[in-house]
Amino acid sequence: MNCHESTDRFDDYLDGQLDADDANGLRTHLADCPSCADKLETIRELREGAAALPRSLEPPHDLWPGIAARISEAKVVRGRFWSRTLMAAAAAVLVITSVVTAYYIGRSQAVMMAELPAVVESGESEVLLASFEGLGVNDYMARRTELLNALDARSHELSGETMDVVMENLLLIDQAMDRIAVALGEDPENEFLMKQLVGAYRQQINLLQRAVRLPAEV
Amino acid sequence: MGVAGKPEGSESLVDRAVRGDVGAFEELYSENVGRVYLLCLRMCGDPSLAEELAQEAFVRAWQKLGSFRGASAFSTWLHRVTVNVVLGDRRSTVRREARVKPAGDDLPLDLTASAPSPGQVLDLERSIAALPDGARTVFVLHDVEGYRHKEIARLTGVAVGTSKAQLHRARQLLRKALTS
Repeated sequence: MNCHESTDRFDDYLDGQLDADDANGLRTHLADCPSCADKLETIRELREGAAALPRSLEPPHDLWPGIAARISEAKVVRGRFWSRTLMAAAAAVLVITSVVTAYYIGRSQAVMMAELPAVVESGESEVLLASFEGLGVNDYMARRTELLNALDARSHELSGETMDVVMENLLLIDQAMDRIAVALGEDPENEFLMKQLVGAYRQQINLLQRAVRLPAEV
Repeated sequence: MGVAGKPEGSESLVDRAVRGDVGAFEELYSENVGRVYLLCLRMCGDPSLAEELAQEAFVRAWQKLGSFRGASAFSTWLHRVTVNVVLGDRRSTVRREARVKPAGDDLPLDLTASAPSPGQVLDLERSIAALPDGARTVFVLHDVEGYRHKEIARLTGVAVGTSKAQLHRARQLLRKALTS
């Protein structure tokens, strides 16, 4: 076995994957070749060092609020495929007479459940978003209310199950946005958190826009 | 592959998450975020980008939960999803070109008591972070995560020989960095 053949087999040798003949051939070569023996030792040390590295490290920021905001839209799609039994049960849970009223009632409950300041119509995120300039989110509250009203006008055409899922996801994004805003309060210059907040805002507007465009179900 | 495929106590959480239970998925997130984030950080070498990629990995996992058949542990499946997300981002050259080469100062300091010494581990982490992209990817997947060259070649879209060459290059650069 020459040096090239030897080095090509190092990893399999260290993994115990070489057959007996190859392993013996390699050992014979190593006994006569200090250079290859040195290379093998270096690789062994590097592999052992790599294998001993930590396996887990908490990120500097909680990533869940941003994830929750993004996955909520996917949940809307899943919700439309619930079984008939679940759909009937869900429809019975919530009878919405006004989308806007139901949203703000739900929002106030969500805010309180999240143990955030008991703000009913303006969460931390809304106050913060309203202070942004140049990010295209200044009209957030007005745009959201406009879309909620549009959804309200269409609510009689949509099933209770669909409305339930939409409202649930709006509130989920709200909670995520408020958690991001609280984190931003502690670290106001954090660009990552700012991007997450703006992203969540866009997710909520997108969700409402899609909900308003849903085909009639009832 | 070298990722531990041992069963974990998350089966019911996974089942609930597959049915759309966000709370269950949040628990899965809590159980796995440290490992996912560190994998992203090692593969991309940039703490800020690692956060974005880790978040993307969980979103992707949520979207693909329906395809999880339980043949492996959820953590193993999530590991693969994460690797694919990082490699997918790597292919987005526009994004990568805008980034500054990392110094490795944000790599893990919370080290276990196992050998080698914390100083050696930190040196190794910093040296890994300073590797060129291709060499770092192959080194992390092969020597840290335990993937075989054949799997790395399939995941990264290169030939097995290229994967071996990148690993050889990574080890040479690491050897030089650690002995200088």
